[in-house]
Amino acid sequence: MKIALFIPCLVNQLMPQVAIATLELLEKLGHQVILPKGQTCCGQPMTNSGCFNEARSTVLKLLNAFKGVECDAIVCPAASCLVAAKENFHEFDDSPEAQAVINKLYELTEFLHDVAPVEQFTRPFPHKVSMQMSCHGLRMLTLAKASELMSPGYNKLEALLNKVPNIEVVYPEPHDECCGFGGTFAMDEGAVSAKMGKDKASAHANTGAQYVVGYDPSCLMHLDGMIRRLQLPIETRHLAQILNEAI
Amino acid sequence: MATTTTANHAEKAEIFCRDEARVDWHSKALWLLRQKRDRAASSLPEWEELRELGSEYKLHTLSHLGEYLEQFEANCIKQGIQVHWAKDGAEHNRIVHEILAKHQVKKLVKSKSMLTEECHLNPYLEQHGIEVIDTDLGERIIQLNKQPPSHIVVPAIHLKKEEVGELFHEKIGTEKGASDPTYLTRAARQHLREHFLSADAAMTGVNMAIADQGAIVVCTNEGNADMGGNLPSLTLHSMGIDKMVPNMEAASVLLRTLARNAIGQPITTYSSFYHGPKPGGEMHVIIVDNGRTKALKDKLLAESLKCIRCGGCINTCPVYRRSGGYSYNYFIPGPIGIAVGAQEDNTNTTAWACTLCGSCTYVCPTKVPLDKIIAYQRRLKAEQGTLPYGKDRYMPIVGKVMGSATLFNCAMSVARFSLRNLPNAMLKPFSGAWGKYRELPKAPKTSFEAWYNKNRSE
Repeated sequence: MKIALFIPCLVNQLMPQVAIATLELLEKLGHQVILPKGQTCCGQPMTNSGCFNEARSTVLKLLNAFKGVECDAIVCPAASCLVAAKENFHEFDDSPEAQAVINKLYELTEFLHDVAPVEQFTRPFPHKVSMQMSCHGLRMLTLAKASELMSPGYNKLEALLNKVPNIEVVYPEPHDECCGFGGTFAMDEGAVSAKMGKDKASAHANTGAQYVVGYDPSCLMHLDGMIRRLQLPIETRHLAQILNEAI
Repeated sequence: MATTTTANHAEKAEIFCRDEARVDWHSKALWLLRQKRDRAASSLPEWEELRELGSEYKLHTLSHLGEYLEQFEANCIKQGIQVHWAKDGAEHNRIVHEILAKHQVKKLVKSKSMLTEECHLNPYLEQHGIEVIDTDLGERIIQLNKQPPSHIVVPAIHLKKEEVGELFHEKIGTEKGASDPTYLTRAARQHLREHFLSADAAMTGVNMAIADQGAIVVCTNEGNADMGGNLPSLTLHSMGIDKMVPNMEAASVLLRTLARNAIGQPITTYSSFYHGPKPGGEMHVIIVDNGRTKALKDKLLAESLKCIRCGGCINTCPVYRRSGGYSYNYFIPGPIGIAVGAQEDNTNTTAWACTLCGSCTYVCPTKVPLDKIIAYQRRLKAEQGTLPYGKDRYMPIVGKVMGSATLFNCAMSVARFSLRNLPNAMLKPFSGAWGKYRELPKAPKTSFEAWYNKNRSE
């Protein structure tokens, strides 16, 4: 497939290793990957605070980067940003061109699980990994059955990781409680955010896993800051980084 | 502790968080309720279907609310129930006082009602010389402690049994140092029984009002509402217009999810249907609007009126569990408190006491889209020009910078350079709440875009 990468600002500026792993992984899987120019933030910091006027120019700039780009899918390695982009494109532009962009948007996990499924990864990853089921991917993109629901269980992140030889998947307790990042929440509500982050980082460390693995770089960044502050014996990894090593 | 102060949510939450052991205890106690809820819900194969039905019944009723309220009133009158309409809290309190004054009531026993909290009924009646005794155990505890509820189902959840022991020793004469819950509960029951027997009138809230029956449903675990409803011959029942359901089928669905979702119980110990006054007695139902029809006019806010006040969203909320019920500046805390009370919050901060994680929406037995409503409350605040935490100053700048590639790349280059090369001590003043609690991100040398242009030039 021809894939256009959507690399949100946080990943582009502070976590390029996640974007590089995403690019290399998709190329190894035989896809043609391009990076449309002129991308920026999805507008979430503003719209999540109710500031829609302030978000308009940023959101439209991002949308314009993808309008008219020839590709089969637009893939993003950040669930929360993808959800915001979808909603915000809708909010500010109801043209058929905008809808065409929205229709092609996929988060990396769902792309690898639903759109272009991978059969098996070849290289072993003999480690225990603790699952970071970040909220927006979980409850808005339904990447897994959330613990609140009583419907049949599934988990796309786990399904992908289980295709890697010798990996051991474990869950923190509670399985899918918010890590407390919440964008500007981390600044506005420093104490609560930090306590949530501390509890989440400790829950991951308590599994005995070597890595926290997730699909949302912003939550992983929050947990990383917490893990290093608490000096816990665990590190964060994005799904793309694990899979890219395993192929 | 007053519910209305000038301290914002973040400040009050920060104070709550200083006692980490207590936060852990509080969070665990509420998470236990969530776990019990999960077990109870998973025992019903039709759980998700019940949520959908609950949502549809409530939406249907709310979209035909006028008809159902009139049907309810007509059926109540047929059965000898006197119906009163109150447009707001003040009118509700006046009506209640008039009824009580007419019967020369000196002491009123009251079972749990969040609506009377909303209307500030207790202080109003006390000012008029009527003694009000809250008879629900948790409510009685906080009434003796001179506090408002910190939760809508377990109002004294913030107090440890040792603290309740001390309070009871001081107020109702239990043994000093006794904190055994069974002993304390028995003592409270004895103390309340005396009040039940000497009360002139009883008041309850209403969990559901059934239109085609002209009946109200009251759900308790302690039977205190029934003691009140059956001892004095004068009873009053306050309800918001949102408590309407069309018929017994709807009530049955909601009864199956209410207690399960609240505390993991199949059904409340007492789910009493009141169809009319005692022979020779009087039964009054006071139907209150207090801003509900205003909410109904907004498609999204209207969905908040589907709530059946089970408290499930509060138990699951990761922010509530770590900030406590008194941080919300509204008499209902947690997600539902923000959804229905954000506009009443004069600090304009409770709408931001949320990470938009969506757990509350998924837990809700009537599928109230709580996270969407909370986000919408923020939008309303922005439109009203009442943004908290300096957002009105920095959001326009963020918007400008992120909307311009040059500005944004330049700003982030500076940020990366600073993170890589400046000592932490120098960065601290700029990193605000982030650096206070966490290590700053390890910054890479370049952006991904720069790497791509170097390594994948097209």
